[in-house]
Amino acid sequence: MKPDLAWGAECAWPARAAERPLARPWKYLALGLLLVGALQFGQGAWIQAKAWLAQALIAQAWSRSLHGEKEAKPWPWADTWPVARLIAPRLGIERYVLAGANGSAIAFGPGHLSGTPVPGEAGNSVIGGHRDTHLAFLRHVKSGDELLIERADGTRVAYQVRDALVLDKRDVWVAKQEGPRRLTLVTCFPFDALRAGGPQRYVVFAFESRNRGGERGTRG
Amino acid sequence: MELPEFFAAFALSGRQAASAGAWNARMQTQNPGANARLIAFDLIAFVALAAAIALSAAVVLIAVVLLLSGRAEASPPGEENQGTLLLRTTDGKAAASAPLLSTDVSFRVSGMLARARVVQTFHNASADWVEGVYVFPLPENAAVDRLQMRVGERLIESEIRERAAARQVYDQARAGGQRTALMDQERPNIFTTRVANIGPQELVAVELEYQQPLRYDNGRYSLRFPMVVGPRYIPGNLRVSATEQLGWSWNTEQVPDAARITPPVLRPAAGPVNPVSIRVALDAGVPIAQVASPYHRVDIRTVSPSRREIELAAGAVPANKDFELTWAPQGGGAPQLAWFTEHKDGRHYGLLMVLPPAAAPGARLAREVVFVLDTSGSMAGASIRQAKDALELALARLAPGDLFNVIEFNSTAQTLFADAQPVNPRNVRRATDWVQSLHARGGTEMAPALRLALDGSDGSARVRQVVFLTDGAVGNEEALFRLIRERLGDTRLFTVGIGSAPNSHFMSKAAQLGRGTFTYIGRIDEVQAKMGELFAKLESPVLKGLEVHWPQGVTVESWPARVPDLYAGEPVVIAAALDRLEGEVRVSGTRDARPWEARVPLALNGSGVGMGSLWARGKVDALIDSVREGAPEEEIRRQVIALATAHRLVTKYTSFVAVDKTPARPSGAQLKLAAVPTNLPEGWEYDKVFGELPQGATDSRYAMLTGALMLLLALSTLLARRGRRFA
Repeated sequence: MKPDLAWGAECAWPARAAERPLARPWKYLALGLLLVGALQFGQGAWIQAKAWLAQALIAQAWSRSLHGEKEAKPWPWADTWPVARLIAPRLGIERYVLAGANGSAIAFGPGHLSGTPVPGEAGNSVIGGHRDTHLAFLRHVKSGDELLIERADGTRVAYQVRDALVLDKRDVWVAKQEGPRRLTLVTCFPFDALRAGGPQRYVVFAFESRNRGGERGTRG
Repeated sequence: MELPEFFAAFALSGRQAASAGAWNARMQTQNPGANARLIAFDLIAFVALAAAIALSAAVVLIAVVLLLSGRAEASPPGEENQGTLLLRTTDGKAAASAPLLSTDVSFRVSGMLARARVVQTFHNASADWVEGVYVFPLPENAAVDRLQMRVGERLIESEIRERAAARQVYDQARAGGQRTALMDQERPNIFTTRVANIGPQELVAVELEYQQPLRYDNGRYSLRFPMVVGPRYIPGNLRVSATEQLGWSWNTEQVPDAARITPPVLRPAAGPVNPVSIRVALDAGVPIAQVASPYHRVDIRTVSPSRREIELAAGAVPANKDFELTWAPQGGGAPQLAWFTEHKDGRHYGLLMVLPPAAAPGARLAREVVFVLDTSGSMAGASIRQAKDALELALARLAPGDLFNVIEFNSTAQTLFADAQPVNPRNVRRATDWVQSLHARGGTEMAPALRLALDGSDGSARVRQVVFLTDGAVGNEEALFRLIRERLGDTRLFTVGIGSAPNSHFMSKAAQLGRGTFTYIGRIDEVQAKMGELFAKLESPVLKGLEVHWPQGVTVESWPARVPDLYAGEPVVIAAALDRLEGEVRVSGTRDARPWEARVPLALNGSGVGMGSLWARGKVDALIDSVREGAPEEEIRRQVIALATAHRLVTKYTSFVAVDKTPARPSGAQLKLAAVPTNLPEGWEYDKVFGELPQGATDSRYAMLTGALMLLLALSTLLARRGRRFA
C-alpha cells in the first residue's frame, strides 16, 4: 500500500523531524479530511452493509413465505417482499429476489420488474440488480450454466443460461413477453466501473430447461 | 445520498473522530521519546486503526443502517430512484403490413351543438390481404350514432349490436372473406375501428358521425377534436391473457384491457403518419367576434357575420395533437339562455343552456390550496415546462392567510411540506425553488398522489381546493375515479390538462367527481390566460344548490340528474326528454346566500337535430356513473344496451358492425393482421415515456475507495506531524 510506504519512509527519516512541525491550519485540514473521508467511506460501506444484511433478514421472510404467508415483509415497514429465490448452483450463489426493480428495492436484493411475470411463471421475468452487490456474480455466469428459481410454493424451476449481451439502457425490448418461460437478468456494465449511472447494461438470458424432472428438493 | 443515509454516515464519522481523538491522547502519554520500536508500534497501531475504522463503520451500520434505511425507503427515494420501464412490445417501427391511414373530418356547428363526420381511410399498400386495427380518440362526450363502410363507390350501413355479438358478426364475415368493419368503445374517449379483408392496393373507408355539445366557458365556445391517444402508463402486474397482442402494453391486473388502449407508437424519427384534414362550417347563430385556433394554423372565410368556414392552412396535418377552435359572440353578448329541441319517435328531446350573470366579488374565504404536479415521463419536454410555469403563476397568486402545499408524483409521490403551510414569501420561495428543481421521468402512479391530496377531511373551516396538473396519461382511470369519489370529503378537485394530447376523459370526469372544474393548457403562451380563468373560478363564490323545476304535468327525464355547482363563467347545461312542450322550466340556485333564478318557456324553442343522441349519451353516462356508486353492473349493462340500441349509440357495451355481403378475399389467400401505428404526441419525449432498463450499480466502491484514500491521507498527515514531535 503506497500511503503506508510513504508514511513509513517519512518516519524512517528522523532528520526531517527537525523541520518546523505542522502548522495549526494543516491540523484542521487533516482533521477535516479525516471527517470527510470517514463520511465517504461510511457511505460506501453502508450501501454494501445494507445490501448484505438485508438478504439475511429477507431469508427469514422467505421461509415465512414458504409457509404460506403472502407478501411476507422482511421488516415491518418494508415496502417490498421476497417473491422468489434465485440460485446459481455452479457458483454457489443464492439471492432473494424482491418485488419491484426500483431503486429502493434493489438496494436490498435483486428486484423483480413489476409488470413482468413473477419468476417461475410463464413468460419473461425480468430481474434487475446492482452489479457491485447482488448481481456481481453475473460476470462469472457462463452460457450453459444452470439457474434455479424457488417459488413461494417451494417448487423449483430450472433455467439454463443461453446468452449474455452488453446493451444500452434504452434496449427495453429485452422485456418482451413473447416466447418461452425465461429469466432476463439486468445489471449495469462495465462491472468494474467506479461510478454508477452509465448507459450500458449487462443482460443475461436464461431459458427454462427442457428437462424439468426432479425439480423439487434439488439443491446445488 | 438520502437524508437518513447522511445522518447515519454522520453519526458514524463522529464516532470515528472520537476514537481517533482518544487514540491521539493515548499516543501522547505513551510517548517517552524517539524510539524506533515505538515508531514501528505507531505504524502497526495506525494500520490497526484503519482496520478499526472500517470495522466500526460496519458495526455501527449493522446497528443503525437497516432501521434507518428501511424508513427511508418507505418514503420517496431520492437519487436511487430510476425511470420506470413501461413494458413495450413494439420497437417503434411500423409493421410492414400495417395499412396507411388518413382521416378527413368535417364539422357542422350550429349554436351550441356540433355534428362531426369522421372518415378514416384504410389504404393497404402491401401485396397481401390485410386486417387493420386503428385505436383513436374522440371527444369524451361524443355521441357516436352512425357508422358506414365505404368500399369503392358503395356505402354499407352498419348495425348497432351488443359488443360481443357485434364481434361475432365481424369474425364470421372476416372468416368468410367479406369486407367488414367494427367499431368498439374502449374508454369514453378511446375507440377502435377494425377493418378486415382489405385487398392488395385497396382502399376501405370507415365513415362515422357523432354529435357533441360545445363547451361554453368564460364567454367563449370551444370545439375540441383529439387526434392521438398518447401513450398511457399502465400500472399493475402483468396478467397472462390476450390471444392477440396489438398494443405496446400487455394487460395487467389493474388495467385488464391495456393492450387495447396502447396502439403502437412510432419513434418520431420514423416520420409522422396518419394525416388529418379538418373543415368546420360554423354557424354561431349570433354575430361572431373572433375565431381562434390555438394549436393549428387555419384559413378562416367569413360567409356572413354569424357564419365562418374554417380549414387547416396546411391542408392535412399529422395526427399528433388536439385541434381546438374557439370563438366568442360579438360584444360579449352571449345568449343568457338557449333551448333547442328535436321531435323524434313521439318524444321531445331538448338541450337547455342557461348562463347565470357574472358573480359579484364576494367575501374572501380562507382557503387551503394543494397543488399536485405530474412529473412522470410522459410530461417530459414541453408539458413539464407548461406545468411548471402554471404552478409558479399559481404560487405567486396565493394570498396571505391561505395555506398551501405542493405534491409531485411519478413512480412515487412526495409532498413539499408535511402539512399545508401558511402563505408567506419564504414558503412560496421554497415551493418555487422546489418545483423548479423537479424533473419529469418515471411512471405515473397517480393513486398515491391523490391519496396524499385528498385526505377525506370534512367540515374544515377553510375552503380546501386541489389543483391537479397532469396530462392524464394513465390506463387505470376507473380506479382513480373511485378513489376520488371515496376520499373527496369537503375538498374540491380542479384538473388542469397539460400538453398537446391530454386525456380528456380523465380531466372532465375527475373534475366532475371532484366537484370542481377542468381546464386545458396546450401551449406555454396559454398559461397566463388559462390559469387566470382558473384563479377566477377558485376565488369567486360558487353558484350552489342548483335545481331544475319542470312544469307540472309534463313528464321529464333529464341529465345530469343532480346539477353540479357552477364556477365563474360556466353555464348550466341540461339534456331532457319530454312528452310535451308546455309551461316553463325554472332553474334556481344561490350564490353567496343570494338567490338566483331563470325561467325558460318550453314552447320558445329553436329546433335542432341530434338532441336525442345527446340525451341518450347523457343517460348512458349517468348509468355508468351509477355503477361506481354501487349499482349492480349487470343490471346497468342491460339498461345501457337497451338504450344504446334504441338510439344507435356506441357505448362500452355496444358496437357498430358493417358487413359487405359479397365475399372479396379468395379462400386461398391469407389475411394479415396489423395495428395502425400512431405518432408520439407533439412535444413528448419517446425515451422518457418508454423508459429505460433498471439501473444496476451503486457508488459504494467509489465512495469506499475515495473515503479510504482521504482517511489515509489525513491520518498520515497527522501521524507525520506527531512523528516530527518525537524527534
